[in-house]
This record gives sequence, structure tokens and C-alpha cells, in this order.
Amino acid sequence: MFRIVTTMEFTELIENNKKAMRMLDLLLKAPEISVGMTPSEVVYTQDDMRLLHYIPVVKKPYPVPVLIVYALVNRYYILDLQPDKSVVKKLLDDGLDVYIIDWGYPSGIDRYLTIDDYVNEYIDNAVEKIRELSGAEKVSLFGVCQGGTFSVMYSSLHPEKIQNLATMVTPVDFDTDEGLLHVWAKSLDADRIVDAYGIVPGNLLNTGFLLTDPFRVLIDKYVIFLEKIESNGDDEDSGRKNEEAVKNFLRMEKWIFDSPDQAGEMYRQFIKDCYQKNLLIKNEMMLDGKRVDLKNITMPLLNVMGEYDHLVPIAASKPLNDAVASTDKEVMVFPTGHIGMFVGGKSQRDVCPKISSWLRARSGDQNS
Amino acid sequence: MNMESSDLQASHDFFEHWLKAYEATCGRIIDMPILGPSREGADKLRKNFEATINMHAAWAQSLANYQSAFMEASQKTQEEVEKRIAGGVSPSSYKGYYDLWMETYSKTFKEFLKSRFFASDLARLTSNSMDFQKSSRVLIEENFLRPANLPTRTELDDLSKEVYLLKKQVKELVRGQGKSATRK
Repeated sequence: MFRIVTTMEFTELIENNKKAMRMLDLLLKAPEISVGMTPSEVVYTQDDMRLLHYIPVVKKPYPVPVLIVYALVNRYYILDLQPDKSVVKKLLDDGLDVYIIDWGYPSGIDRYLTIDDYVNEYIDNAVEKIRELSGAEKVSLFGVCQGGTFSVMYSSLHPEKIQNLATMVTPVDFDTDEGLLHVWAKSLDADRIVDAYGIVPGNLLNTGFLLTDPFRVLIDKYVIFLEKIESNGDDEDSGRKNEEAVKNFLRMEKWIFDSPDQAGEMYRQFIKDCYQKNLLIKNEMMLDGKRVDLKNITMPLLNVMGEYDHLVPIAASKPLNDAVASTDKEVMVFPTGHIGMFVGGKSQRDVCPKISSWLRARSGDQNS
Repeated sequence: MNMESSDLQASHDFFEHWLKAYEATCGRIIDMPILGPSREGADKLRKNFEATINMHAAWAQSLANYQSAFMEASQKTQEEVEKRIAGGVSPSSYKGYYDLWMETYSKTFKEFLKSRFFASDLARLTSNSMDFQKSSRVLIEENFLRPANLPTRTELDDLSKEVYLLKKQVKELVRGQGKSATRK
């Protein structure tokens, strides 16, 4: 039997019980949480998709607007989770003119939407709207995760509209065994899933994400949360810290389980053409009869990835830089995981400032 | 841990035997062609029963595989505790033991989940679950919704497709109009 000193054992038990009771108390009085609080206005809608324009915080933003394209899985507001953990706010504070696509929640009627619809319809219409509103000839695309994959496709098919392409934790070379999703997707029968569901339930995909590290995300995460609760002292400072800890935790919980369903045909195509046949990196991906040739990408490229990303490993992202024809291209690897890129301490401290700086240097003269 | 090897052979063998026995006995009766006026409805029920059996067999096999991984993780945790006790550095608190447990279980399951064996098992379970889902839908539509004169999911899908294709046509027409207006 392992050795536990009796007095320590009791102290630890009592302390844990106190924390558990305090946590229960805090959850009973849990405040309302808000996400995506940076002020914005809806400037365009099409079906479920909305284009949001964040209200600039400087008098004269940089002339080249930035369009953020997030994944269809989970919601875009992870990039603006709370004011002190907001990629969007950082870009705005630095004088950039920021737009974002909210894909909404697809329903039964959207089951036949394909990747072509997302890339050549929704993204293209958003880009057109931004060009119209801003007067800019070109926009910067900032694609995140699967949204990055779509942004790569878009930049290849419409290079004349794109000033800069920034991708973050974006898979382009799917033929790797480093990430569990890549391993599992190879054997998955996407036809059966789509034929059975039509619209693929977000919860089904979420189960897959949770399975990538089940003990950490289903148990340890909650233990760490409990540890953060201060059980001693009813003073104002402890109360404020505990309330903040609960709010921060609940915001992440909300985001993780806020999983939109997926348009079936898009899902089928993404699994088969990307994960299984790996067509994108081979320049063999076809959208609406047009070949997605990565050599068409000649604009400046920034490719950002996380060293410990277990969902999109570096091996899946890095090959993009060799596949494009851009001469101004850069890779940035940060010592963090997939989610840490958007909300971790390193995100605000290291990741956001570097992306912002890269974009600003290529977004024209702010004073022109 | 080598998940490709025969570690889980016992659980596989058990389910193989069970399925063979089922197919040789009850399964034969279920497979028998149905006669009479209720043939079509009953046939869908039979197919759904078959899909249910397949899904449960795949589910049971997956559970057995998870169980094997749990057993291995428990064994490794125990071995690590013994090793630490022998070295005089055993966990001195519940948290210390929890950390050791978490680390060992996470590592063991990571190997298990990364194996090709697990990937094919997951694919099989997913496919069987999808077959069950689809067959249940057909069963409900044919035996309940249609007789009750209620709309079915299949009909809604047909409508969705029609709407999708019409929208595409409209967009192409609008684009074509834009182009001809520009030419003028």
C-alpha cells in the first residue's frame, strides 16, 4: 500500500471537502456568463451565416481589412471569449479593421451544402461585402483550424482578392499519424454517417474530440478547476478570485459543448477528400469543377501552429509553406496546444502580438 | 502496449463464438423470409433487428476492448506504486496518488487510442451504429409515419435537396444577369 501520513491524509481530505462545498456554493450562485463581448454589428447575412464587423477602436484603422474564418465545428467566439482572452480585441486594439464569419447552426435544409458552397459562396460573398464596405481592393484572410483549410482553398481560387493569408492550427496535409483524428478518420465510413444522419450531430463530433484525451478532458480538467477554488477566507479578494475562476471555467465549458451540427455533404467531402485521400496538399482537390492548386497562392503567408496541438499536429500544418508559391512566407510555432492558441496565457502574451504585428506590416499605411 | 497483437484475442474470440452461435440458431429464424400481407412491414422489422444485433455486438466488443485497456492501466499504476514504495518515494498524499493515476491512465489510453486496432474498432462501431440508425428510421417511417399520413424525414430530405438545387440555379441566373448587364 502507498504511504500516506495520517495527519496529512485528514488535512487533505478536509481541505478537498471544503473546496468541493465552496465550489458547489459558487455554482449555485453562478453569475450569468457572456461570451463574444467585443462590440460588433452584423453587416451581411446569407442563410445561417452572418458576417460581423467589429467596431474599430482607433480613428483610422489599417486600410486592408482582416476577415477571420473559423471552423464549422464549435463556435467562432473562442476568438473573443472574454475581454482579457480575446484575439479579436488584440487585433482591434492594434488598429486593424476586423470582420469575422459566424457560420450559425446548420439545420436539415443545409444537409446538401458542400465545401464548394462554403468556400465559393459564403466566404466569397463575405469577402465581396467587405470590399464593398471598406473600399479595399483586397482583404487579409485569417483562417483558424478548419476555417484555415477553407481559407487556403479560397486563396488558391481567388488570389486576386487576397492581400495576406494567415493560417492558425490549420490542417492541409492530412496524411499523418501524429494526431488521433487523422488516425481515426482514415477508417471512418463517412458515407454511412451522412446517409444515416443527413446533418451530422455536433455531439457526435464532440465525442470524438473528447476521446482524444479522455482522462484529461473528462476528469482532470474538473479536478484542476476544484484546485483553483480558494476554500479559506470569506474576504472580498477570495470571493472575487473564486467568482472569476467560475466564470472563466463556465465560458470554456459553454464553448466546448456548443457544437453546431455539420452539413452532411460538406462533412462527407471533408473526410473523404481531405482526411482519406489527402487531395488538398497534392493539388488534386476539386471545388465546383475547379482544381485547388496551392501554387496559385502567391500572397504573403503566415502559418501559425502549436507545438503540443493534439488535434492538428505540426505535421499536418507545416507542409503548406512548401506547397505555396509565396516568397514572403513564415512559420510560427508556439509552445502551446490547440485551444491554448486562442485562450491560454501565451495567446495574449506571445501569439496575438506576433500575428498582429505580421498583419500590420502588410496592411498598408495606417495614416494614408 | 501492443494493441496490434493478441492482447485482446480472448474478448474477440468470445464475441466471434457468440455471433456464430447466434447465426446458427436464432439468427436463422430471423433471416427466414416473411410471407403474407404484412410481409413488407415485417421485413423492415427483421432488418432492424439484425442491425440492432450487429450494433450491440460491436458495442460489446468495444466495451471489452476498453476494459482490457483499463485493466492494463490499473496494472501499470499498481506496478508504479510498488516501484516507488521500493524506492522510498511513494505518493504521500491522495493528490500524489491521483497524479500518478492520471499520468499512467492517460499514457496507457493514449497508446490504446492511437493503435490501428482501436481505429478499426471505432470505425466498425460507428458503421454498425449508423446502420442501426438508418434502419430504425426506415422502420419508423414505413410502419408508423406513412400509415399515419405524417411527413417523413426522407420526404423532408427530398424537399431540402430540391430547395438547395433551386437556390443554386437562382444564383447562377442572377450571376448570368449581372454578366450580361455588365456587357451591355
